[in-house]
Amino acid sequence: MSHRHLLSALAAIALAAGASVPAAAQAAPAVSLTSEVKVVRQVTENGTTREVMEEPAKVLPGDRLLFATRYNNSGSQPATDFVVVNPLPAAVKLARVDGFDVSVDGGKTFGALAALKVARSDGTTRAAELGDVTHVRWRVASIAPGASGNVSYFAEVR
Amino acid sequence: MFKGAQLNKSVTMTAASLVAGVASLALAAPAMAAGVAAGSLIENTATATYTAAAGTQTIDSNTVTLKVDEILDVATVSQESGPVAASTTAALRFRVTNTGNGPESFVLTANPAVSGNAFDATVTGLAIDTNGNGVFDAGVDTALTNGATSAVLAADGPLDVLVLVTIPANAAPNATSRVELIATATTGTGPAGTLFAGAGVGLGDAVVGASTARATAQAVLTVDKAVVTLNKSATVADPFGGTRPVPNAVITYRIVADVTGTGSVSGLAVTDAIPTGTAFLPGSLTLEGTGLTDAADSDAGQGGASGIAVQLGTLAAGAQRTVTFQVRIN
Repeated sequence: MSHRHLLSALAAIALAAGASVPAAAQAAPAVSLTSEVKVVRQVTENGTTREVMEEPAKVLPGDRLLFATRYNNSGSQPATDFVVVNPLPAAVKLARVDGFDVSVDGGKTFGALAALKVARSDGTTRAAELGDVTHVRWRVASIAPGASGNVSYFAEVR
Repeated sequence: MFKGAQLNKSVTMTAASLVAGVASLALAAPAMAAGVAAGSLIENTATATYTAAAGTQTIDSNTVTLKVDEILDVATVSQESGPVAASTTAALRFRVTNTGNGPESFVLTANPAVSGNAFDATVTGLAIDTNGNGVFDAGVDTALTNGATSAVLAADGPLDVLVLVTIPANAAPNATSRVELIATATTGTGPAGTLFAGAGVGLGDAVVGASTARATAQAVLTVDKAVVTLNKSATVADPFGGTRPVPNAVITYRIVADVTGTGSVSGLAVTDAIPTGTAFLPGSLTLEGTGLTDAADSDAGQGGASGIAVQLGTLAAGAQRTVTFQVRIN
């Protein structure tokens, strides 16, 4: 219960910070980002198992989470070259790649997971794995005025 | 943490700030064998950049924050590689590990009465093997009464527990007995998924994991002792070449000592009285077929009107000694 309050308090801080930042650049650009998180539960009914998204009242290691970010252009002009970067919280591991680029070097470089390498301590490299991913990135060429959309990734609590 | 995440504005970030940001994230939420520590916060913030008429814009999402709840799990294993041979007392080595993701204490209960036991040992107490040497050092290792609660173990924390037992005197040589150690989480146990609301780290929930928050392991004791059995028999030779116990008939007594079990016995002596109505036949005492003098002297035996005594000394399990002597019926 106490962390619900914390959550909303943090959200309020984030919104306040978000409101103050564009003051310098100002004017028309009015794209906003709204993040949410759900926990993915397996529900078996009448012998069939399906996944349901629930509010994360209880989170344990191994649980699968869906982090979703909604973008909305409430301005009067299109926003172009729209790039969303989401650093993964250290306590989670990317569960699967759903058509986005990833970084395994703290956001310095991005690419398809299969194309990325990770340095071993002895100087050699190995193919990057889901557990190595530090950031995910989505690109949207243009968001028309009034348009909105959603990007998301699945992660597992380490 | 929250500020650090906000720093990660993709395009403008320098390599140095990236490395610092990643390191601080990793420190904030250590992942262990049992998973992320209970009470850790999972905070997610997305950042976007885009181009608009006013130029390049950078915006952050709100930060969503989850707190990782506590999972209650425990593992108990015997650290004995095989049966523990003991004659009177033993310290059986176990290890209890907190396989949950938060600090937890455990009730430790040793049960010597396991179904199928040939005998049940007596649990005299438990001890925390503080110095990890596998034996109970009184005054060094922390003694606990059976059923006591351990100190709080950190997630992944192991605890070496000695179960101190005594073997009943009537336990047969080589008999085996199982002794089990049960560890249960003090927060609670139950089927996986059982919820203890508000009982976890930082007033989060505690949830029972796959172990049911209760774990049992068994160690096996075997009785390591030697046992002596004596078997006495008599044959009668009468003066007429028969076997009737008539006056002047000679009775040959044969006493066979068998040492069985494991180990050895020491100070073993065989004594026997001369039956009423008979008289010891001087010079008739033998050990393993070899004559012994009747006098109390350097050989192992002595005999006379009051009886016979043969000192067998120390004998290992498996040894057998035969003593004979004769009496004449009055």
